[in-house]
Amino acid sequence: MPAICVIIVSVLLSVTGSAAQSGLITRDEALAAVFPGADVEAERVFLTSDQTKRAAALSGGEVPTALVARYVARRGEEVVGRAYVDTHVVRTKRESLLISLDPAGRVRRIDVTAFLEPREYQGAERWFRQYDGKPLDDDLALQRAIRPIAGATLTAVAANTAVRRVLAIDHVLEADSAR
Amino acid sequence: MTSDCRCVLGIVLILGLAGAGSVDRAFAQSTGDSGETVVEAPSSDGGQRTGSDSGSEDEEGNEVDVSELERRLEVLAEEVERLRSGEDSEIELTEQEVRALGLAPSAAATYRRSQGVSIAGYGEMLFENFAAENQAGDPTGKGSQFDFLRAIFYAGYRFNDKFLFNSEIEIEHADEIFVEFAYLDYLVHENLGIRGGMVLMPMGLVNEFHEPTVFFGTERPVTEQVIIPSTWRENGGGIHGSVDMVSYRAFVVNGLVGSRFSANGIRSGRQKGSKAQAANMAFTGRVDVTPTPGMFFGASLYTGGSGQGDVVIDNTEFDIQTTIFDLHGQAQIRGFDLRGLYARASIGDAAELNQSLGLSGAAGVAETMQGGYFQVGYDVLSQVSGNRGVSLTPYVRLEQVDTQATMPAGFVRSLTTDNTYTTLGVEVKPIPNIVLKADYAWVSNDAETLINQFNVNLGYAF
Repeated sequence: MPAICVIIVSVLLSVTGSAAQSGLITRDEALAAVFPGADVEAERVFLTSDQTKRAAALSGGEVPTALVARYVARRGEEVVGRAYVDTHVVRTKRESLLISLDPAGRVRRIDVTAFLEPREYQGAERWFRQYDGKPLDDDLALQRAIRPIAGATLTAVAANTAVRRVLAIDHVLEADSAR
Repeated sequence: MTSDCRCVLGIVLILGLAGAGSVDRAFAQSTGDSGETVVEAPSSDGGQRTGSDSGSEDEEGNEVDVSELERRLEVLAEEVERLRSGEDSEIELTEQEVRALGLAPSAAATYRRSQGVSIAGYGEMLFENFAAENQAGDPTGKGSQFDFLRAIFYAGYRFNDKFLFNSEIEIEHADEIFVEFAYLDYLVHENLGIRGGMVLMPMGLVNEFHEPTVFFGTERPVTEQVIIPSTWRENGGGIHGSVDMVSYRAFVVNGLVGSRFSANGIRSGRQKGSKAQAANMAFTGRVDVTPTPGMFFGASLYTGGSGQGDVVIDNTEFDIQTTIFDLHGQAQIRGFDLRGLYARASIGDAAELNQSLGLSGAAGVAETMQGGYFQVGYDVLSQVSGNRGVSLTPYVRLEQVDTQATMPAGFVRSLTTDNTYTTLGVEVKPIPNIVLKADYAWVSNDAETLINQFNVNLGYAF
């Protein structure tokens, strides 16, 4: 009986809980965790046609929009990282990933900020950790450096495509910035 | 209006603001500011971003505050990006926006909630060509069969962050309709959910993940047809969730119907949620451990009575306690895909069940049944750069199933129930959602009654 009471109380409490308990994280929470103490500036970058084409060629996939949501983290004058939001369709519904990079353009961390498919298809945090420290190269692919998610192949495919796309966009923007 | 529609609306507004001189003029008149220039300047990163704090004159000499225009463009771009992301389930509209929609506040409520409907599906078509002779060399006369095995639609609805509905409606063989599952989920916590309705039994590797793009083989493993009778679903409810590398599910459901068991397994004992007899309930659950992505192993259990009040001898009712457990594992690493499963079912009061059913000799229901398989596949394109997601995977599956592993006293085993299967095949996925499989199955038993067969399967999932 005490166990049942505990369950009932926890259920009642959870009814009044916040959306944050849904297992997703907000952009601000994720950025604060990835770049602690840094000043994070939000930017919306409009890719040129040429940049879009180059990013698509680099990623090996499509770059479906020229509007890119980007964050640049600085400590003082030093850029300590960048982050991008990539929104894509998994099956029929959308997922948004906040993909944070280190200054060299390698993946630092990936957070799921929106997932509109049933939760069982969502990639676990541990699965996304495979990407930590990975640069954009041929090995950044499912069944190569990245192992798939059992029973959620489409989620894994969508996420890997998104990571490659973000790394390619970042590479193009950084290359143009250095010119 | 969907979020996508709102995105389009936002883009149109952006384009309108950026391009319409009338907007510029109206705005310039409202502010009256002037200043210096600049429109779109390449950003430091090379992308195009909005420019600096300045104003200019348009072609007709009207003063334009470019900085304010850019601010508006930035606000709209942010809004479009936010709407596109799907991060906000509630989109707040200002009073002005509500009026702009031409709707009363209640009618405008539709625009405040992103749509929760989710549609998906899968299907598979199977061509079977049976050998002309069975193991013993006797003519089979079975020929070939072409079946649209399954056409399935998933429909779900997310009421809010806590509650959702999910369902799978199946049309089998093009003319039989079933509900494969239909449940409500309540997300108590990130690590705990409560589920109620018609649920899939959390058993084995295939029962919960039975889309043709997920498992090797033109047909599901036999073990997961007769020992774990996938697709196995019953009415009930329970909990599910995961904590770090451990995931779990535990449900209480209506029990099987033992009076439908046979020498060939328990498959006919499923009630499939239709006016299910519930005199005997059952517990089912599983625990899986994922030590590293792409690899997991675990165990599943089902236990409960299957008598349902049907098995009564001399005024004594027998529960026909039925327990099924399995051990399973899967690893997908660098193009290799290895899977293995062992399942065992034990049936209490089997002698009494057989007596009740009038079965005797080798036709009786066994006390224990068991089966297992091991399979391996290798995607030969997985290590090829630039394959654009195409996979080509030869696979082999070795399987043995015995639905009369041990018999109750007074009954004997049939020579037809201990079967071995060796399946060799290949699957091609041009994209991850579509699969074409072809395989050949060599089968055998001591009675030499089985028939080899060649199969082709075309499947899809979205």
